[in-house]
Amino acid sequence: MKVKKYLSLTRAGIMESLHFRLSAVVMVTGNLLYLIVVYFLWKAVYASAGTDIVNGMTFSDTLIYLVLATALFNFMEMYTVWEIGRSIQSGQIVLDLLRPMAYRRYLFWAYSGTFVTQFFFTFLPTFIVVAAVTHGAIHFGIGLLFFVLSVVMSVSINYSIDFLVGTICLYTGSIWGINIMKQVIVLLLSGATIPIAFFPEPLRTVVYHLPFQSIYNAPLSILLDGSLQPQTVCTTLGTQFLWCIVMMLLSKLFWKVSLRQITVNGG
Amino acid sequence: MPAIIELRNVTKEFKVLDRHEGLKGSLKDLFSRDHKIVRAVDNISMSIEQGEIVGYLGPNGAGKSTTIKMMTGVLEPTSGEILVGGNVPYRDRIKNAQEIGVVFGQRSQLWWALPLVESFKLLKDIYQIPDADYDDMLALYQSLVDIGHLLHKPVRQMSLGQRTLSDILAAFLHDPKIVFLDEPTIGLDVSMKAKIRTLIHALNKEKKTTVILTTHDMGDVDALCKRIIIIDKGKMLYDNDIEHLKGFFGSYRTLKIRVDGDRKAQEAVIQKELPDLSVTADEEWITVLVDEERAKVIDVLGQLQRSHHIRDMQLEEISTETVIKKIYEGGVQ
Repeated sequence: MKVKKYLSLTRAGIMESLHFRLSAVVMVTGNLLYLIVVYFLWKAVYASAGTDIVNGMTFSDTLIYLVLATALFNFMEMYTVWEIGRSIQSGQIVLDLLRPMAYRRYLFWAYSGTFVTQFFFTFLPTFIVVAAVTHGAIHFGIGLLFFVLSVVMSVSINYSIDFLVGTICLYTGSIWGINIMKQVIVLLLSGATIPIAFFPEPLRTVVYHLPFQSIYNAPLSILLDGSLQPQTVCTTLGTQFLWCIVMMLLSKLFWKVSLRQITVNGG
Repeated sequence: MPAIIELRNVTKEFKVLDRHEGLKGSLKDLFSRDHKIVRAVDNISMSIEQGEIVGYLGPNGAGKSTTIKMMTGVLEPTSGEILVGGNVPYRDRIKNAQEIGVVFGQRSQLWWALPLVESFKLLKDIYQIPDADYDDMLALYQSLVDIGHLLHKPVRQMSLGQRTLSDILAAFLHDPKIVFLDEPTIGLDVSMKAKIRTLIHALNKEKKTTVILTTHDMGDVDALCKRIIIIDKGKMLYDNDIEHLKGFFGSYRTLKIRVDGDRKAQEAVIQKELPDLSVTADEEWITVLVDEERAKVIDVLGQLQRSHHIRDMQLEEISTETVIKKIYEGGVQ
């Protein structure tokens, strides 16, 4: 019975996102353009490097990585910061706060339907195309299971970070700048725009100690690693799990404190 | 009967940044720490029983919404106690939410892109309404208003009236103990207003739901409320039966006359002739408010007839609207 109220929200979300089918077309087109830019950009990078392998990755390795990162981004991006910011500005948040469930949970499940549609409309097709075109860059087997597990945790970490940033809107009342800042930081430091292997050594060390790389780099490295060691899997998933818990607690706590602030001082 | 809503000496203060004027002021504000305390609600107490419909009135900015937000648990009072259905709203917001329904006239809690029935199904799951209760409720709705054609219409295609109606139905769906209606008839046409009033009245009767109604439309008040509470500038001005309220001004009569000549000019002339009474003019009538304890309407009329050619006249009981207006302007003691 308890699960049902969340799944209902998912169901409504699916129906709602299917309703806006034109926006899905626009999104796919936009991504295609982005991928074309990525292709030529990295082609130029490899041409100027003069070698086939840069930082341990061939041109096709890099491209596969980035294509899948983009697909993953489309699947995971929840626009939570926008959502929270907008509902604060319009005052709609009052109604959402009066739902008989925690706001953080409500928002996640209200959006979850889009995960499902995005998965089938963008992630899965990309995944299949990459698998078919590259013949073996993706390793089917137990690694795929770890990948799925890893993505689930990525979603959770991503949401926690988004929610944390969205909460800041309670104080600032503005969304644009905060959202752009978050977007740039997360996409860069998570390895979604440039593979982390390309980062200079000191930065790479720093990045490995931040939660962001657990969002994109972790699942993709599991998926694309040809010789996956059990130990690597354990460390990657373990790190992710740790960040999962930490970010969840942090975002919950920050929300609680902020909301109190708002209910005391008024919004 | 025990009270379902209990407010005891509730005060709510906001800290707001003291903004300065002009561009220079705006720059100054960036670093300014000058806060001032605004008291939105000032020492209010009330006790509302199960099944009552209470009109909660006051001019814009009186503190009505703040009070409602405190009762729903979105805001925490600065001091004083609030109990809603046995819960302290801001502390048990989620538990409290299960037992109340809310309609804000200008916002919708429905799923924009989906047909109404999908929103209802969702609310059914979110509030965990048992199947039987849900079916009963829909049957009741069907008997009160014809919702058949609304159920399968996407909310975004609805007219404002249909949407408001749907929002009210959605708020009552989980059979809450209390429903807060914040200006539910704002912007609606006359027939829709009547429809919504009938609906609220019927649901209150049928389900014994307590209704707290904020509105600026005195038609709503006359149609629905036995009791009204008026606040202004955060302070309680009045809390009693609507009949009793009229009693305050019971000796007042409204005398409306139509005379020859320019109304504006005549208004001034008449005001000069009757310096103790309030004289106003609209497109059709010149209205004189007469306190029967001080001057008889007949005498006033006689006096007017001597100096003017009265073509038409009407005598009216004071309307709730006028009473409330007088309270907003001058206050009751």
